[in-house]
Amino acid sequence: MTATQAPPVATEPRGDGSDAAGDGPSSVIVDDLTHVYSRGKVRALDHVSVRIKPGEIVGVVGQNGSGKTTLTKHLNGLLKPTEGRVTVAGIETTRRRVQELAAHVGYVFQNPNHQLFASSVEVDLGFGPRNLGLDPAEVAERVEAAIAFFGLESVRHLHPYRISFPMRKLVGIAAIYTMRPEIFVLDEPSTGQDHITTRKINELIRRLRSDGSTVICVSHDMQLMADVVDRVLVMWNGQLIADRTPREVFADREVMARTNLEPPQITEIALRLQARTGRPPALSVDELADAIGPTLRPVISGVS
Amino acid sequence: MPSPAPIIEFERVTFQYAASEGHALDDVSLTIGEGEYVALMGLNGAGKTTLELCINGIIPNMVMGDLAGTIGVAGLDPTETPVREMAKTVGMVFDNPEFQMSQMTVAEEVALGLENLGVPFDEMRARIAEALATVDLVGFDDRMPLALSGGQQQRLAIAAVLAMRPRILVMDEPTSNLDPIGKQEVFAIAERLNRENGMTVVMAEHEVEVMARFADRVIVLDHGRIVANGTPREVFSGIETLQRIGLRPPQATELAVALRSRYGAWRGELPVTTEEAVDALEATMIGTAR
Amino acid sequence: MQGVAVPISMVAGNSFLHRLNPIAKLVWVVVVLIISFATRNPLLLLGLSIAGLLVVLTAGIWRQFARVMMILLPVGTSLIVFQSVAPAFPQPWTAITSIGPFTIYQEGIYSGLSLLARAMSMTIFALAMIMTTHPSDLFTSLSRLRVPYVLNFMLAMTLQLIPVLQREIAVVMSAQKSRGMKSTGFGAIIPSFVPVFAGAIERVQQLSISLESRAFGSTGHKTSYRQVAVRPADWLVGLAGVALLIGCLAVFLATGGLDMSRSIVFPPVVAIGLVAASTVLFVAFIASAIWLVVRA
Repeated sequence: MTATQAPPVATEPRGDGSDAAGDGPSSVIVDDLTHVYSRGKVRALDHVSVRIKPGEIVGVVGQNGSGKTTLTKHLNGLLKPTEGRVTVAGIETTRRRVQELAAHVGYVFQNPNHQLFASSVEVDLGFGPRNLGLDPAEVAERVEAAIAFFGLESVRHLHPYRISFPMRKLVGIAAIYTMRPEIFVLDEPSTGQDHITTRKINELIRRLRSDGSTVICVSHDMQLMADVVDRVLVMWNGQLIADRTPREVFADREVMARTNLEPPQITEIALRLQARTGRPPALSVDELADAIGPTLRPVISGVS
Repeated sequence: MPSPAPIIEFERVTFQYAASEGHALDDVSLTIGEGEYVALMGLNGAGKTTLELCINGIIPNMVMGDLAGTIGVAGLDPTETPVREMAKTVGMVFDNPEFQMSQMTVAEEVALGLENLGVPFDEMRARIAEALATVDLVGFDDRMPLALSGGQQQRLAIAAVLAMRPRILVMDEPTSNLDPIGKQEVFAIAERLNRENGMTVVMAEHEVEVMARFADRVIVLDHGRIVANGTPREVFSGIETLQRIGLRPPQATELAVALRSRYGAWRGELPVTTEEAVDALEATMIGTAR
Repeated sequence: MQGVAVPISMVAGNSFLHRLNPIAKLVWVVVVLIISFATRNPLLLLGLSIAGLLVVLTAGIWRQFARVMMILLPVGTSLIVFQSVAPAFPQPWTAITSIGPFTIYQEGIYSGLSLLARAMSMTIFALAMIMTTHPSDLFTSLSRLRVPYVLNFMLAMTLQLIPVLQREIAVVMSAQKSRGMKSTGFGAIIPSFVPVFAGAIERVQQLSISLESRAFGSTGHKTSYRQVAVRPADWLVGLAGVALLIGCLAVFLATGGLDMSRSIVFPPVVAIGLVAASTVLFVAFIASAIWLVVRA
């Protein structure tokens, strides 16, 4: 029942996320990005720089209004920079329209109802590839692949609004999957979902990465960060105030307090026992249990 | 400690939505005492919303279907009593904050229920001020509800219900659309109302750790049936049941279970909160060589 | 992203006009509307407009009022320009002068000025009312006049739903563009609007349950949070408006609309100057409008 942490990435990204020379091409380059609207009155993003490499799973956290959604909307061109540059899959976003960038960056909106509309799940899944100008055979093949990957066989002929909301969330991701973008942006994929659906989505994210995709998740769900994500970008007041592994971010009490976020319970427990364990905080139940179990005398709990 | 007088009673309640197969509620029996904070948990579609809609009579008065069994809420029968009568006793808050807004100003939104109940103007003003203070929206009277943030809207929805002075507050996943700060605010308000005002709270939620901390009792639903009903500790210690239906207990509990089963390193009751786990572990770990 | 701004045009204040009962104000708006259409006499309409402006001045809403009134500039200049050479008026027409293929007529100037004055008087009084009345107070007053509560509610809801639906359409279009949808053409209609409709239906369903849970369906006596007074002053103002209307209509019937079209003579200098100035301004507006569209 407990999730296991993905194996740590060989080179832990550090600081501003810049890679050393020769580390390979970046999937996403955000270069000193500033975004201002309302005629200069609102500074939604303030000199944000980050580089994401292919195959990374990156989480973006922060309160509403911190700029996390503004940041991700620059990745597929929904927003254009006021200053600075955003490059995705080698293409500078100001040079292309959203529809063109959609072939490289798949943006899954938080509410699947905003994206689903067709008479059946099958037809809806084909909408993206059809817009890309693919021939019907190719479209059908991609739809079949998506149905298999996401386990949608039982609902393929149903109208999207007739299926349960958790299923619709999956269809929403599948509808972007059929476009085969290199980069996925998921907006609150597990928010408000029950445990089973959350686990399914976590699993899907890992499989997308195994497929070679880069996945960027905007989420309030700290559990998602702990279970699945390699790297966490913490947004606050339009600024990127931390770009670290989940473990490091959760252990940074100051950053967590500033953004009013709380780590998952297990990490909180690990942090409080840190004086005794002397280790960086655990991200999963198994990890903490294995860390303290061997040397622990039986705990006679005082709870009643 | 004597058990509180029952304020909600369900006896063998079964409900099937019109034009739907399968029972949304299947032979549900439960008793909720006045002043209890009850968490309703279960997967999507387990029947939590259905159960809650039966409490104030929306089911069966507004939602069509077959309802069987007996329901008693504060001495009234919601199946026979008009919803507007039940509204004086039961306040309901739903998961989408914006979909509960309809008025031009915050004050009018809070006043809506009072206008419908024919509450005199002076008393209305007093109740509105009181309700807004409870949810920390003082001074927001002339603001537009649809221009507020999600967290503010949800607090407004709560105020709109509180002004009617209900004895029972029923909430259906009220924090699922809110950011962490908004969630904290809503949970804090519910807890305070329960503790200070003796408000009976029935809350459907997925946030296991939070419910373990605040709820007096947890009722777990699966496919319309009650599969667990007890204190958080009792319910979350039933690991097999939870696993079978796809729920998980708080991580503090999972930790203790893992320590017990893998290392024989936990005896006695399982913790359900951070404090309980940390206190028990620290006490044992003093003197443990590292 | 959640909050939307509902376009309530009311400007806060405590003037006589603000405190006037919404129905009294509504009466005057209707009175001015009827009078404006019952006559073409530019002097009368101009007088009405000036009276309206004086009332607006007392209300302390001048800055916002002036900003909205700016819309009358392009409307007015176009009226004068086009009416002067092609009067919406029965023939025969009296020519003043000719510029190239175009001839400026007395009746044209008369028509242009009277139409402009008509637009002005109606707009001034309507704005005066909208900017000093809270919609909720208007709805409360209407319900006292036995306008059904549900109708009121629907009106209020519609007013608020407009910016909400605008936002929803924008979100859905972003979502579908993110799936490669071309923004124009027939293929964009269904993917853009089906989700918005579905969202609206979901909203209405959930809202109705929320309202029902707050005793919305009550048939009993309802009280009102918004207290709108009906004072003797309100009655006086309302009745004065009705009296004005009856008086004017009587005069118009007797004098054929106070028609001055045959008696007024515009000196050529005045006529040409007016048309020239209007043309210049009008062209300037069109040019800047085109530039704005092209730039966006």
